Amino acid sequence: MASMLKIEKLSASVGEGEEAKAILHGLSLSVPAGEVHAIMGPNGAGKSTLSYVLTGREGYTVTGGTATLDGADILALEPEARAAAGLFLSFQYPVEIPGVPVMTFVRTAMNAQRKSRGEAEISAPDFIKKSREIAKVLSLDPEMLKRPVNVGFSGGEKKRLEIYQMMILEPRFMVLDETDSGLDIDALRTVAEGVNALRAPGRGMLVITHYQRLLDYIKPDKVHVLAKGRIIKTGGPDLAHRLEAEGYDGVLAEAV
Amino acid sequence: MSTALKDMIRNPTVAELELVARYAALKADVRRERLFEAFAQTGLPGRRTEGWRWTDFKTAVSSLDAPKAAPARDPLVRDAVTTLRFTPSGYGVPKALPAGVKLLAKDEVQAMGGAEAAPLGALAAALSGGKTPATLLVDVSAGAPVHLHMVFEGPGAINAARVVFLLRPGAELHLSESHLGGAALSAALVEFTLNKGARLNRTVYQIGGADEAQAVTALIEQDASAASVQTVLAFGAKVARIETRLVHRETGSKATLNAAYLAGAGLQADITTHVRHGAPSCITRQVTKGAVLDGGRGVFQGKFHVPRTAGQQTDASMQHKALLLEEGAEVFAKPELEILADDVQCAHGNTSGQLDAAQLFYLRQRGIALVQARALLTEAFIAEALEGAGALEDVLRAEASGWLNHAA
Repeated sequence: MASMLKIEKLSASVGEGEEAKAILHGLSLSVPAGEVHAIMGPNGAGKSTLSYVLTGREGYTVTGGTATLDGADILALEPEARAAAGLFLSFQYPVEIPGVPVMTFVRTAMNAQRKSRGEAEISAPDFIKKSREIAKVLSLDPEMLKRPVNVGFSGGEKKRLEIYQMMILEPRFMVLDETDSGLDIDALRTVAEGVNALRAPGRGMLVITHYQRLLDYIKPDKVHVLAKGRIIKTGGPDLAHRLEAEGYDGVLAEAV
Repeated sequence: MSTALKDMIRNPTVAELELVARYAALKADVRRERLFEAFAQTGLPGRRTEGWRWTDFKTAVSSLDAPKAAPARDPLVRDAVTTLRFTPSGYGVPKALPAGVKLLAKDEVQAMGGAEAAPLGALAAALSGGKTPATLLVDVSAGAPVHLHMVFEGPGAINAARVVFLLRPGAELHLSESHLGGAALSAALVEFTLNKGARLNRTVYQIGGADEAQAVTALIEQDASAASVQTVLAFGAKVARIETRLVHRETGSKATLNAAYLAGAGLQADITTHVRHGAPSCITRQVTKGAVLDGGRGVFQGKFHVPRTAGQQTDASMQHKALLLEEGAEVFAKPELEILADDVQCAHGNTSGQLDAAQLFYLRQRGIALVQARALLTEAFIAEALEGAGALEDVLRAEASGWLNHAA
């Protein structure tokens, strides 16, 4: 099957000038449409850097290689254009936005994406209906959606709000950065149900995680091991179990 | 022009000589003379004038040629609310007035306390009148809340206007003001006396062009248990100063003085306040928020003066926060607390910085374009300063949002 997200020999650094530090060293990876791939790796391997480079965060510089979504270069686009192209990042640390209610924010985002794709805006009643349905699936208190984005939310609520946004914006390709961190087992299950509901033939997903636990709920088609800025090993779902049992050291040693 | 007149202002500019000529053409009046002399001590205030270092009218107003642009649109005008209009040719008195309001147009010029401390207020008072009587007095008595709207606009060279409000004991006034420019120099002086238990809610909207100078001066005096809430939204002009001088003169008086300023390229907005706690147990709350683009300038000067004996049990807080939205934006701030009493609660905070990069990226990752993301965050940032405007809060927010999404 043709690759949806295709990353080839991607190198990137963080910081500027003499402070710049190379993090990714020729990372290659491809995720076909309809598949869920997991990226696992030790601390400092470059997992979050990869998610920020793909989504265009300021302060990260691509020094080599390419990344395409359905064959189109995404690295040259502004972050908002990448989002409009269907790329969504579920943040490891969702940001608080005081003074901007969740509903206002998400509806603004949705209409901005629609506008840039030449589509009509969603009507307020349609949006509210959709928002309510999704909040119910995720057990989110509708009152919470009237409050400023992430302000005063618990860690679990913040992660659920990321999935709420993902479900309402219906991106084509999703990057989940350590979505499991800070979640108890019940919240993890709820979040995973939301993510699984989005699995579709035309949609791809990259699940970045530190532990195998999340992958019991979101079953990946493939598992990649990221270390020192490169993919050092790729395998099936059982690779995640092996990592959990043996730790990263064994797999790292084997790869060298 | 007589030698004596010419010498009133030292080394006068062309514009100042024109102001002297305008003054000389008005009907002689002892109080008018005193007011013009108070102005003439400094002339148009500028870099060398105490309190005007960052807001230089002397340089900005080089001549008094009428500006090219028409006055701005008025977002605060409402059909149901009586409007008083002040233009270079005077003011109109509406036929129907809300119950509890009396208008008195007086030929005699009224005295103005502390004229030397507010040179452009003194100028407004000295030049008001001509085609219409010099002073418009508005008397508001107790009863149902009174709503009034005032518009100050060109076209013309100079728009000088003065209005004096008296709020009788227990009276309640909701006043909105639109200062829309359209004159080379606009100087408005609005005075308020709040008798015991009177309430004032004042909303000020200011907008002007890059070839216009505007000064809006308010003097507010509050008696026992009087309460005022002021909300300013200023978009600036070549130079624009919104100055409020407030005195708590009897016990238990309360004041909220909030302002938001948004200044684009070539524009300046100056929010200056002076509050005197002249009686015990009075409260002042002040929140000023600003956002400035490349080539714009924001100025905040706030002063609380708390005298040794009279100012006991003062409760006052002053906060100024500014966003420099682009490189090349300028913000100058001077918060001052002059506290001589020992049993007081006074707090102040003053910061200026940039939008949070992590917040901006979060919004952009969801598909919101940079300009819109910046607008959303800035609108949220200034929102607190507009909360006191009551029914007009949404109108002010919409104006701010429109500016942020288009001008910014």
